[in-house]
Amino acid sequence: MEPALEGAVQEGRKMSKRKRSVPGSPAESLLQPVKLSREELYKEPTNEELNRLRETEILFHSSLLRLQVEELLKEIRLSEKKKDRIGVFLREVNQCIKKVPSIPETELIDQAWLPAGVRVPLHQVPYTVKGSFCFLPPAQVTVVGSYLLGTCIRPNINVDMALTMPMEILQDKDLLNQRYFRKRALYLAHLAHHLARDPLFGSVHFSYTNGCHLKPLLLLRPRGKDEHLVTVRLYPCPPPNFFRPCRLLPTKNNVRSTWYQGQSHLGDGKPEPPTPHYNTWVLQDTALESHMQLLSTVLSSAQGLKDGVTLLKVWLRQRELDKGLGGFNGFLISMLVAFLVSTRKIHTTMSGYQVLRSVLQFLVTTDLTVNGISLCLSSDPSLPALADFHQAFPVVFLDSSGLLNLCADVTASTYHQVQHEARLSMVLLDSKADDGFQLLLMTPKPMVRSFDHILHLHPLSRLQAACHRLKLCPELQDSGGDYVSAVLGPLTTLLKQGLGSRLQLLAHSRPSVPEWNISQDPPKHKDCGTLTLGLLLQPEGLTSVLELGPEADQPEAADFRQFWGPRSELRRFQDGAIREAVVWEAASLYQKRLIPHQVVTHLLALHADIPDTCVHYVGGFLDALIQGPKETSSTGEEALTEAVRCYDDLSRLLWGLEGLPLTVSAVQGAHPVLRYTEVFPPTPARPAYSFHEHLRERASLLPRPDKPCPAYVEPMTVVCHLEGSGQWPQDAEAVRRVRAAFQLRLAELLTQQHGLQCRATATHTDVLKDGFVFRIRVAYQREPQILREVHSPEGMISLRDTPASLCLERDTKQLPLLTSVLHGLQQQHPAFSGVARLAKRWVRAQLLGEGVNDESLDLVTAALFLHPEPFTPPSSPQVGFLRFLSLLSTFDWKNNPLIINLNSELKAEEQVEIRSGFLAARTRLPVMVLITPQDHKGSVWTQDGPSAQILQRLVILAAEALPILEKQLMDPRGPGDIRTVFRPPLDIYDVLIRLSPRHIPRHRQAVDCPAASFCRGLLREPQPSSLMPVLGYDPPQLYLAQLREAFGDLALFFYDQHGGEVIGVLWKPTSFQPQPFKASSTKGRMVVSQGEELVMVPNVEAILEDFAVLGEGLVQAVEARSERWTV
Amino acid sequence: MVARGRRKRAVQDTEGRLPSPLGYSAVPIKFSEKQQASHYLYVREHRVREGAQSTWPQKRTLFVLNVPPYCSENTTREVPIFLRLGAWGHLFLHCPSGIWSADKESLSRLLSPCGLVQSVELQEKPDLVESPKEPKSKFFHPKPVPGFRVAYVVFQRPSGVAAALILKGPLLVSTESHPVRSGIHKWISDYADAVADPEALRVEVDAFMEAYDKKVAEEETKAKGEEGVPDEEGWVKVTRRGRRPVLPRTEAASLRVLERERQKRARKELLNFYAWQHRETKMEHLAQLRKKFEEDKQRIELLRAQRKFRPY
Repeated sequence: MEPALEGAVQEGRKMSKRKRSVPGSPAESLLQPVKLSREELYKEPTNEELNRLRETEILFHSSLLRLQVEELLKEIRLSEKKKDRIGVFLREVNQCIKKVPSIPETELIDQAWLPAGVRVPLHQVPYTVKGSFCFLPPAQVTVVGSYLLGTCIRPNINVDMALTMPMEILQDKDLLNQRYFRKRALYLAHLAHHLARDPLFGSVHFSYTNGCHLKPLLLLRPRGKDEHLVTVRLYPCPPPNFFRPCRLLPTKNNVRSTWYQGQSHLGDGKPEPPTPHYNTWVLQDTALESHMQLLSTVLSSAQGLKDGVTLLKVWLRQRELDKGLGGFNGFLISMLVAFLVSTRKIHTTMSGYQVLRSVLQFLVTTDLTVNGISLCLSSDPSLPALADFHQAFPVVFLDSSGLLNLCADVTASTYHQVQHEARLSMVLLDSKADDGFQLLLMTPKPMVRSFDHILHLHPLSRLQAACHRLKLCPELQDSGGDYVSAVLGPLTTLLKQGLGSRLQLLAHSRPSVPEWNISQDPPKHKDCGTLTLGLLLQPEGLTSVLELGPEADQPEAADFRQFWGPRSELRRFQDGAIREAVVWEAASLYQKRLIPHQVVTHLLALHADIPDTCVHYVGGFLDALIQGPKETSSTGEEALTEAVRCYDDLSRLLWGLEGLPLTVSAVQGAHPVLRYTEVFPPTPARPAYSFHEHLRERASLLPRPDKPCPAYVEPMTVVCHLEGSGQWPQDAEAVRRVRAAFQLRLAELLTQQHGLQCRATATHTDVLKDGFVFRIRVAYQREPQILREVHSPEGMISLRDTPASLCLERDTKQLPLLTSVLHGLQQQHPAFSGVARLAKRWVRAQLLGEGVNDESLDLVTAALFLHPEPFTPPSSPQVGFLRFLSLLSTFDWKNNPLIINLNSELKAEEQVEIRSGFLAARTRLPVMVLITPQDHKGSVWTQDGPSAQILQRLVILAAEALPILEKQLMDPRGPGDIRTVFRPPLDIYDVLIRLSPRHIPRHRQAVDCPAASFCRGLLREPQPSSLMPVLGYDPPQLYLAQLREAFGDLALFFYDQHGGEVIGVLWKPTSFQPQPFKASSTKGRMVVSQGEELVMVPNVEAILEDFAVLGEGLVQAVEARSERWTV
Repeated sequence: MVARGRRKRAVQDTEGRLPSPLGYSAVPIKFSEKQQASHYLYVREHRVREGAQSTWPQKRTLFVLNVPPYCSENTTREVPIFLRLGAWGHLFLHCPSGIWSADKESLSRLLSPCGLVQSVELQEKPDLVESPKEPKSKFFHPKPVPGFRVAYVVFQRPSGVAAALILKGPLLVSTESHPVRSGIHKWISDYADAVADPEALRVEVDAFMEAYDKKVAEEETKAKGEEGVPDEEGWVKVTRRGRRPVLPRTEAASLRVLERERQKRARKELLNFYAWQHRETKMEHLAQLRKKFEEDKQRIELLRAQRKFRPY
């Protein structure tokens, strides 16, 4: 009763909290700077306080971490109340089991006694087997496992119960040919039949022990409200010392080929293959008690150790390492802690955090695939050597008997993944990052978000053929026909070898552990979901299209040819060597990124007989969204590079320009193209003259009203700093005039000396070079300072920031700097461009592009690469985009600044200072705070947006899009329509303004590329162009500017600049409140009498018609969709 | 549609007279014949409170609220209107930003039936003072995108104001005889206008700089003349340019001096020399730890409230 009450109280508390926060007090969940009085700060410390402080210093690296760990443990530990209830349930279970009636002895193959409602939870292949079975209640029922140790974690509490089968059931040769496992299964079946009829249990199911198909177990859950409280798992096990250990060495065979394969292979004289896994599974059953004893002696000695194990379990679970056959489960990690205690690497006085750290450190430094470890202390010569185990198993960790390999089912890949995760976590812990705890223990790392590319093998039945092709019959015999686990090892080795330098880490999902009703047959191997492989790529290895083999006359050449099959060719290289080599077809970065796809499909088809229809490679689906219209072979990195190269040429021309009164001191790019983050790279403009109006005297083209809107050409901004000199005037207006004179002079000189088409205005000079248009802005370094100068009445000159000076400083100083830093980032991480563009594309496609500026999005993306913890920097746009969505939706923007440590210029102390400064100034800062080394306050790029509402909307959309997209990508049958998450929901808007595609110049860039669009007056063939194309002419943008100016007080306007056909309008509810008349706020409103009073309300009908008037020619229809505006 | 009906009723409530705030009268205005609903200009005679200064002529000025954003300056080229307006009298055409705009033409055309219009001034918000008269350069002050504005219309005779107050309307901005461009046509002509004439720009810059140089030179000669000459109280002004230059009077410079002084003092001070200094540093350390601990506790509290400790 009480727990339910507790739940209700909690619920109530939650409700009240929510209620309190609804009326819009953001201070509710906002961190306030701490204010302690002097007395409190400087009072005499008590002994207790000093002790705690010292403890914190020694055992944890910060007090925050200590508090966080304590809080987490509190959350996941089982409460005493629940423990009591579980205890009651366990006693009842025990009694029920004892009461199950026995049955007389029958042959093993005669299963007619089995009642109709229950099936044997085991695949009995081959069916015939000798021996007889009878049921007797268990000789002993003991609770084993984490429940007793106090290391079990919520949710999903499991209690393991070992049922010792009475000696009478077993016979001498039961070890052979799965007889023991058959009896075990029948024992469970009978038990299940009787327990299922007991009203005590809510559900009775079968499942497998750690996913091992030969070892079913029975799951019992209480009936009623406690159904999710606990799951009791029943493990039958043999009586102690029943099996002779020497029969179960890894070199011994216990499954005879004659029995397993029928009569076909009789007498070819080969020795029987060893069955190490089979032997281990039997041994595991016999060792349950001794392991339990060992763990309880070690762990009961210290709370720190228990905490450590609990933390490690959370750590493993967040990384999806603990589930399935061959998972690194909680039992393994407990044994590892026991091992480290026995080798004195962990001491009992250590805190949970230190245990976690020591175990991670041990995992990083010890490769169990090469140097196995053992808990066994005896030096008995009859025991097998570690080397024997290494031969039979990829990972070796022996228990105290020296016979049982605890890591028998763990594949080398899994262990390497554990090591990789441990390595990342150690780096994170050593960096002493403020949010280390959060990243280490609280951040889930699902496969699709951790790995650059993933691939699904589906259907699984195909793997059976692969087993035969890879000649894995002995392994099948060993694993009792589980071809999925048998093929995993060889398959990963094959792919690892093939991917070579392209690969950093290859991981595989472990087949999930099914759970089924007792009246059903156990699920077949092929129904165990899909096999998913994760590829962590090495960006350096991705650039090469060549797989260099040995020289042709070397003996290794044959191996190479055998490995690569027909793809291997003899090639002569420039240094004269003739070598075997494999060359992949890939021209662009996009194709090079997907070479692993070619490698994987080729190798799987060649060596494992898995056709490419069964390999579902998920790596480049999202790339389609950043491919230009009519482009399929590239994601635009090449086009961007071409534009940047053209810019480099131009900057060289500017440097070398003769005849300027002052020399050029710096040329810097300031446009997204020049930092590789423009969604669609510019293409060289080749306008058709006939399509345009001509302005002869200015050598310019103009749009024509009778034609569709011409192609959109956006000039790329370049800032050109001129040297400082005494000649510059010291007056803001005069400086502008001088700059204008320089713009004119620049245009003149570029035309004279290099024959470039130029057009100068007062603020910039447009230059047409190789079809690209650059907008050169002359800048004078001291100008922001001149704008800042304020003369006080006393004649003192002081500097105060003004909007104009901030704007100028941002455009001419910070933006070029940011551009060059991000350009550098692109050189380090080739995937940066793709991720940044996908992210921008998504935000714009959600019609929020104008709410969040380009620079802040680029910085958020940069954060994914500079601070990837707990992941590694993304190497594919896909995974980067998923993490972008995850960062956006989970980051606590209200209470934390996002620090983007470009070039690692910020030191740790500075970051601490920034954080405390942030807290103190929170209310004055923008809603989204992005800190860079150049901007410690973090307000330059987000000062003007996003607003709180836009950010909130973005967070919600990201939180919705992420699971949808991840589900699509994890679907083995293919992702379906990948553009789903890019289509904006339109139902929230009050008015939709439909635009005519004729006047949308970027119509073809739309998320759903239109089947037909209009000619935009571009020529296919390059042509020496002497007229300036139409620049920056985008009617929807011009229209939006007008709408925002006229109706900005009343409504918000949303539009996707990449070919959006609709403008979403959202009325501002506050402006729709009737207001008393005020001369300064009559804009677009009208006076109506409401009761006695005259009030002002927006004149909605006239405004709707204004929408059409202002956008004459562009607007197709104005749809008012809601009645919210009725007053 | 329901809403529309209700709105209509609300408008006609007062039997023919449109509801308007005290002292104002409402004049409906539409873009053209085609539109169904109309905006309302709220007009009133321009008055100021006793003692307040206003440059607008009393009695003859009409104050107009809620002028819609249509009409493009392209109509400036529509010579007939321009000439006709010109014939009516002296015309000051300027905006706060000093751009030639057709809004006033439209407005004066619309209001001309009431009497001869002398000037029209459009502003972002009500302002009692006329903005400076000289038009600003179109190169350096690009025209802003128009929104809803207020206007001051000066009639030649006070009767114009009276006539405007009883105007029935609806006024039509764009008619067949005087079409006003909007949408695509407006943007294209805006684009064409924005393609600047470099020669004109050069001329303007040269003229400005010549004037500026002259001004600077004048100031310099004036300063030179005053150098070393005491004023009526006997003070002599010392500048950077004089025979013995002094520090410039800027904030940065004075801060620099203060900083240097502080460093000099810090160098001389002894640290951890006296026992009380030891004690104090220890206490300070403890206080830091306590403060940090409090901060951390608060952070944890927040995370707990957000249920951030549930790992999965």
